[in-house]
Amino acid sequence: MNGKDVKKLIVACDAGMGSSVMLASQLRKELRKSAVTVEHTPVNSIPGDADVVVCHAGLGARAKASAPDTPIITFQVFLGDPAVTRLVNAIKNGSEINA
Amino acid sequence: MATAYTPTVTGTGIKAHIQRLGGYLAGMVMPNIGAFIAWGLITALFIPTGWLPDKQFAALVDPIITLLLPVLIGYTGGRMVHGQRGAVVGAVATVGVVVGAKIPMFLGAMILGPLAAYVLKKVDEFTADRTKSGFEMLVDNFTAGIIGGALAVFGVWGVAPIVRQVTSAAGNGVEWLIHHHLLPFASVLIEPAKVLFLNNAVNHGVLGPLGVAEAVNHGKSILFMLESNPGPGLGVLLAYLLFGPKALRPSVPAAIVIQFLGGIHEIYFPYVLMKPRLILASIAGGAAGIGTFMITGAGLVATPSPGSIFAYAAETPKGGWFGVFAGVIVAAAVSFAVGSALLGFGRLAESESEAVEETAEDGSAVVNEEPAPESTAGDVERPAARPEPQEA
Repeated sequence: MNGKDVKKLIVACDAGMGSSVMLASQLRKELRKSAVTVEHTPVNSIPGDADVVVCHAGLGARAKASAPDTPIITFQVFLGDPAVTRLVNAIKNGSEINA
Repeated sequence: MATAYTPTVTGTGIKAHIQRLGGYLAGMVMPNIGAFIAWGLITALFIPTGWLPDKQFAALVDPIITLLLPVLIGYTGGRMVHGQRGAVVGAVATVGVVVGAKIPMFLGAMILGPLAAYVLKKVDEFTADRTKSGFEMLVDNFTAGIIGGALAVFGVWGVAPIVRQVTSAAGNGVEWLIHHHLLPFASVLIEPAKVLFLNNAVNHGVLGPLGVAEAVNHGKSILFMLESNPGPGLGVLLAYLLFGPKALRPSVPAAIVIQFLGGIHEIYFPYVLMKPRLILASIAGGAAGIGTFMITGAGLVATPSPGSIFAYAAETPKGGWFGVFAGVIVAAAVSFAVGSALLGFGRLAESESEAVEETAEDGSAVVNEEPAPESTAGDVERPAARPEPQEA
């Protein structure tokens, strides 16, 4: 899938109130110039119209169960994870997202 | 940088199931944390032993804890199952377990709220195709009213007595642990559960409700501090800052701010998961912190959420500063000391940072697929672990 097709990016965490809010506000800043909506939700209620989901690897299975048809990017660390950086760059440059 | 090693959740894994169940429990409580904090602050201020004793305002304390908070939980639980209609019947049904109860009926609310919503959902499915056009509103309102009312009666008659037994049994169990000075051992379960992202489930699903029951009687509870103590995480991060793999050190100061001041503990879980033996550091720190809380008789008035040092300060009852801060500091110091030892006081940093960098190429992102195959993860961990047999 291509970075320019991403219109809605969901950051998911367990409660949708803590770490996901933090990461979402970071990504929102980084993607301010792109036409991407960044939202945060609990991992159990990822909305159906999400184009790509970002969550910690420890919650990957639940994200997959909750949004089986949406590409899921998992990361290991909350600050400066290479997987997240690659996603941001792909969206900015309109290149392929496929790690 | 950090592709090192994270145990991944598999689709059928027990862990994912427990996480999901815990997620539901925490999901009923967490959106309502603001109300818990309002209750905690009112209690700390206006009860006879509080900062500004005031009889008139203290009258707020009881209705909030016995009525408002359980109803909010039942409402939220109902909404999770069946939207706004589920929320309404969940709230109505919850009143059934609340009336006449002397203790806060959180457990009852967590059962009855979603149950009522589920029953309504099934009834809605049944009536949806059978309702004549123009009668939808009549049918919808009366099914919700009848089901809510019936489950409230069922709550008074059937659920409340059982929940009262279970809650007091659980409370007695905790009392027993405290009385026999065994509470620090809870860390052996709590800390590993925490880094596996069960932190909300443990704190808001289990400890919080028990803590509130205790706080009603004693004005404070140690149970709020078992999981949420920011000390052990701070110690682990400090150990990383000074002795961790060099590639990871620059990210640590920001993580400390977010964890200790912002209270988002998730930020340090990956640092533990990368080097799983560090769980010993957070267990030791957690146990030392709980021990300190017990010796000093510390407690908080409500759930500190998020688990930030500022939330701790705001919810410390009058005269309780010493014990609360001592417990946090001791926990941080112990987990720092153990964590530093486990990291070999930096002696291993060189060899490990190379190992980490070598693996940095094969990224950790996998699109729509289970993350990083276990086999590669295992390969990454082994060379890093080899140079330090003395620590096994």
